[in-house]
Amino acid sequence: MTQRFRPPATALRRLFVGGAAIALVYVVLAPLSSTDAGQQLGLPFLTDRLWFRVATTVAMFVVLASAWNIIGGLTGYASFGNVAFFGLGAYTTGVLVSLRQWPFGLALLLAPVVPALFALVIGIPLLRLHGHYFAVASLGVGVAVGEVVNNLQPLGASTGLFLPIVRSNLLFFYLMLAAAALAVLVTWVILHTRFGYGLLAIRENEEAAAVIGVNTTFYKVAALMIAAALTGLAGGIFAQWNTFINQENVFPIEYNVEMILMAVLGGAGTLLGPVAGAVTLELVILRLAGGGAAAAYSQIGLGVLLAVTVIFLPRGVIDFFGGQSRLSLWALRRSLRETSV
Amino acid sequence: MSQLLQQLVLGLLLGGVYVSVALGFSLVWGILNIVNLAHGAFVIIGAYITWVLFSRLGVDPFLSLPVDALVLFALGYGLQRGLINRVIRAPLLFTFLLTFGINLVIVSLLLLIFSPDFRSVTPRYSGSGLSLGSVTIPYIGLARLGIAMLLALVLWFVLNRTRIGAGIQAVGADRDAAQLVGIDLRHVYALTFAIGAAFAGVAGGLIGLQQSITPTAGDPFTLQSFAVVILGGLGRVSATIAGGLLFGLIQVLGLNAPGLGAGYSNAIAFAVLVVVLAFRPQGLLGRLA
Repeated sequence: MTQRFRPPATALRRLFVGGAAIALVYVVLAPLSSTDAGQQLGLPFLTDRLWFRVATTVAMFVVLASAWNIIGGLTGYASFGNVAFFGLGAYTTGVLVSLRQWPFGLALLLAPVVPALFALVIGIPLLRLHGHYFAVASLGVGVAVGEVVNNLQPLGASTGLFLPIVRSNLLFFYLMLAAAALAVLVTWVILHTRFGYGLLAIRENEEAAAVIGVNTTFYKVAALMIAAALTGLAGGIFAQWNTFINQENVFPIEYNVEMILMAVLGGAGTLLGPVAGAVTLELVILRLAGGGAAAAYSQIGLGVLLAVTVIFLPRGVIDFFGGQSRLSLWALRRSLRETSV
Repeated sequence: MSQLLQQLVLGLLLGGVYVSVALGFSLVWGILNIVNLAHGAFVIIGAYITWVLFSRLGVDPFLSLPVDALVLFALGYGLQRGLINRVIRAPLLFTFLLTFGINLVIVSLLLLIFSPDFRSVTPRYSGSGLSLGSVTIPYIGLARLGIAMLLALVLWFVLNRTRIGAGIQAVGADRDAAQLVGIDLRHVYALTFAIGAAFAGVAGGLIGLQQSITPTAGDPFTLQSFAVVILGGLGRVSATIAGGLLFGLIQVLGLNAPGLGAGYSNAIAFAVLVVVLAFRPQGLLGRLA
C-alpha cells in the first residue's frame, strides 16, 4: 500500500497538545479545592464532590484502555478477556482486605500480581491462537472466570464481598490517577525499547518477527502479563473504592468492549490515543447513563457509536492530529473505500 | 445405568438445539470470515416472534418457524448489505466490534419493546414424552432434533446442489477470483449472512419451547455456537452436526457431574474450547485452513 507524504497538521496538533496540557493540570489540581482547607481558602477550581466519581471512573478507564492497547494495539492480539484481569485484581484486594483483614495498601500490592500470574498461565496456550480464535477464546476466559468466581462460596459467591468503607475520595482519585500515569508511562517505555519494537514486529508479521529473532511467545506473554498487571491494579483500587464487589460489577464484559472501543476510537497502537478515547468516551457514557429505559437508550447509543467508529474512523481520532489523515470528508471516504466491498 | 442412559438421550436432544443454533454461525464464519457476535440476538428475535405469534394469535410454535426464518432473512440481508459490507476488508477486530454493536442495539431494543420479563411458549403437548422402559424421550426435544437435522440437510443441499450455493462457496474460497468470474460480492455476502440469520431465527423459535425468553437470553448462544464450531471444525455441515451433538452431551454430563451445576455452563463451554484449541485446532472433522 502506497501512502503519499503529507505534512502533519501542526497547528491542529499544537492546539490539541496545549488543550490537553491545560486539561491535565486542571484535573490534577481541581480535587484539592474540595478539601476542607481548600474550601476555607476558597480555591477557585471546582468544589463539586460528585465530580470525583466521574473523574475517578475516567482515570480507571484510562488505565484499562492503555493496558488493552499494550496487548491489543501494540501486539495486535484483540483480547476480549482483559476484564478477567480487572475482576481478579478486584477480588485479590477484596479477599485480602475483607476476609483476611489485610491493610488496603498491602493488599493493593498483590492486585497486579495475581492477574499477571493468571495471564502467564492462560497466555501460553491462548496466544498460540490467532485472529478470531484468540478473540473468542479470550472472551471465553472473561466470561468463565466471572462465572467460576460467582459460584465459589469462599469468595462470597453471588452475594459478593463487602470491604470496610474508607472515606477518602481524594485518596482514590489520586490512586487511580497515579495508575493511569503509570499505564501511560509503561506504554511510553515499551514504545521506546527493543521490547516494543518486537511487539510491533509481531503485530505486523509474526512469522517474519520470529525469523529475525524475536522470541514471539515470550514477547506476547510478557505483553499480556503487563496488560494484566495494570488492569488488575485498577481492579484492586476499584474494589476498595466501591467497597462492594461481585460478578456483575467487576466482570462485566461491557467493560472489555468499552476499553477496546476507547483504544480504537482514540487510535490503537499509539501512546495517547487510548487516553483520549477513554476520556471522551467515558464522559459520553456517564452522561448517557441512567436506569430503566435510559439505560437501554444509552446502550443503543453505544452500539451506534461502535458502528460509526468502526465504519468511518478505523484508524482512530488521534490519527487526525498529526497523523496521516485529516478530518475531512475525503479522508472518511477513502477509509470507507479501503474496507468495503 | 438407566440414569446415565437418560442423560445421554437428553444430551443428544440438547445437542439438536446446538446444531440448529450453530449452523448459521458456522456458515457466516466459514464464508465471510465474520464471527457474528449478534448471532445470539438473532436467535432471541426468532424466539420473540414465535412467542408473539403463540401468545397473541395462538399459532403453534412449530408453524411459526417459517415466519422466524423470513423475518431474520430480511434483517440479516439488510444488516450485511447496509453495514457489515462496509468493513468486510478491515482487520478482524472491526467486524467483531461492529457485530457487538449490532448485538447491543438489538438487545436494548428488545428490552424496550418486550421489557425484561420472562416469557415462555408452552403449547399443550409440552412436557409429554415417549417412555421406553426407564428412559423418557420428550416429544419436543425429539422434534427439535429432527428439525435441526432437517435444517442441516437444507443447508447442505443449498450449498452443494444449487447455483447460489456454488456462488457462496466460490466467494468463501477466493473472494477476488469469485469477483473476476462475475459474482456480485455484495449480494452474495448479504445472502450468506441472511441465510445464517434465518437459521438463527428458526433455532430461536425452537429455543422458546425449552427455556424462558428474555432480551439477554441470547448472549450465551454466541459463545456456545463458537464452541460447537471449534469442536466440530469449520467449513462443513457434518462437522457442525458432530460438534453440536457432542457439545450437548458434554453440557448435560458436565452439569450433572458432582461439584458442578447450572451456574457453570459457560465455564464448561470455555474449558472444552480451550482443550480442543490446544490439541486439535482444526476440530474433529474440520479441514485445516
